Parts: sequence; structure tokens; C-alpha cells
Amino acid sequence: MARTILPPTADPVIEAYKKDIDRTLLRENLKLSIQQRFENLMQLQRFAQELRSAGQLKKKKP
Amino acid sequence: MTDFDKLIPLLVMGEVHFILVGGAAATAHGSARLTQDLDIVYQRDRENVARLTRVLASLNPYLRGAPLGLPFVWSEETIWAGLNFTLTTSLGSLDLLGEITGGGSYEDLLTDAVTLTLFGVECLCLSLPKLIQVKRAAGRPRDLEAIAELQALLEERK
Repeated sequence: MARTILPPTADPVIEAYKKDIDRTLLRENLKLSIQQRFENLMQLQRFAQELRSAGQLKKKKP
Repeated sequence: MTDFDKLIPLLVMGEVHFILVGGAAATAHGSARLTQDLDIVYQRDRENVARLTRVLASLNPYLRGAPLGLPFVWSEETIWAGLNFTLTTSLGSLDLLGEITGGGSYEDLLTDAVTLTLFGVECLCLSLPKLIQVKRAAGRPRDLEAIAELQALLEERK
């Protein structure tokens, strides 16, 4: 069972980064099951791989 | 790419004692960031190291990024000779961590782990507050944005 961890004190650097976090994406993710979150991650990995492959192919072509 | 849907059940079905940490744990908690590997803290005792060795043997584990042809042998002796291993396997990238900064060992982290059900199995995952704590303790500049997202997730869950 997870024990209670005191919330960290506010770090101005983290707070600055937090302003740019897209919370709409987080809210959508929180509606999903944990398994669905992993399935989305694997889809994203496949897409990233496709992009990398396409980029490498483009580099090889004159 | 890492086949989380195969790798996690394989470890669980092989009775390996481990806790999900890192980017995969962040994904479990709702992170939208892309992570490429599976990071786990494994229990470092005789029986578990034997199970871990046996389960991963079929996946051709090798040191990620190392030149081919090194005399790397996947064995219990290899695990006992090291602590943390960044591996490539036939199911993707897998980081085996004996300890993590700010968190310690498997036993140290157990009280901060939550049980998840995914891909038909139950596994342990570091809690969101503890994940934030260990990422802060690691002190890596590249984690700043990830920490901000995790803290935002903590706020969104309230």
C-alpha cells in the first residue's frame, strides 16, 4: 500500500515548465484505462518509428 | 519500439518481482510523453535474479548501444557482477535497475508501490508522488518537463 508522501515544495523552475503543459491531453489520458494508455504509447512508438524510417529514407535519396 | 503488452506479462508470469518506474510508470499514471523503454527495479535476491535470468534468456538480452561481439553473457553471475543494466531485447528496450537515486532498492520502494492490472496481469508500479520524488532526486535537467507534467497530473487527480 502506498504511503503518504508530503507534496514537494514549489520549485520555481518546475512551476515555469508547468505553465506549458497541455492539461487537455492529461485529462483525456486520465479518462482511459491504464492498459489503454499503454496501447496509445505503443501506437505512438510505432508512429515515431515510421517517421524516423521516412527521414532516413529521405536522407539516402539524392 | 517496446512491446509492453508482451514484456510485462512475461515478467509477471515468470514470477519476477519488480516495480515499474520511469517513463512507463509515468504512462500508467497518465503521462502523455513518449517513452521508448521499460524501466523496472528488480528484487535483488538469489531466487528473483534466477527467475529474471531465466525469463529474459529467450529474448536475447544484450547491452544497449554496445558494439556487437562483446563477450556479454546473460547469466546470474552477470547480474550479480553489476547492478543496473540497459538492455536491448527481442521485445524492445529494457532497463533493469537494482537501485534508483532517491528511491533505493526494490524493498525500499515497496511501500510506495501501487498494484496495476494491465494486459491480463497484476504488477507493481511506483506511486505518482514517489515517482515525482525520485525524478526530482535524480536532478537531471532533461527531467524537468517530465516532473512538471507529473505534478500537473497529481493536481488533475485531486
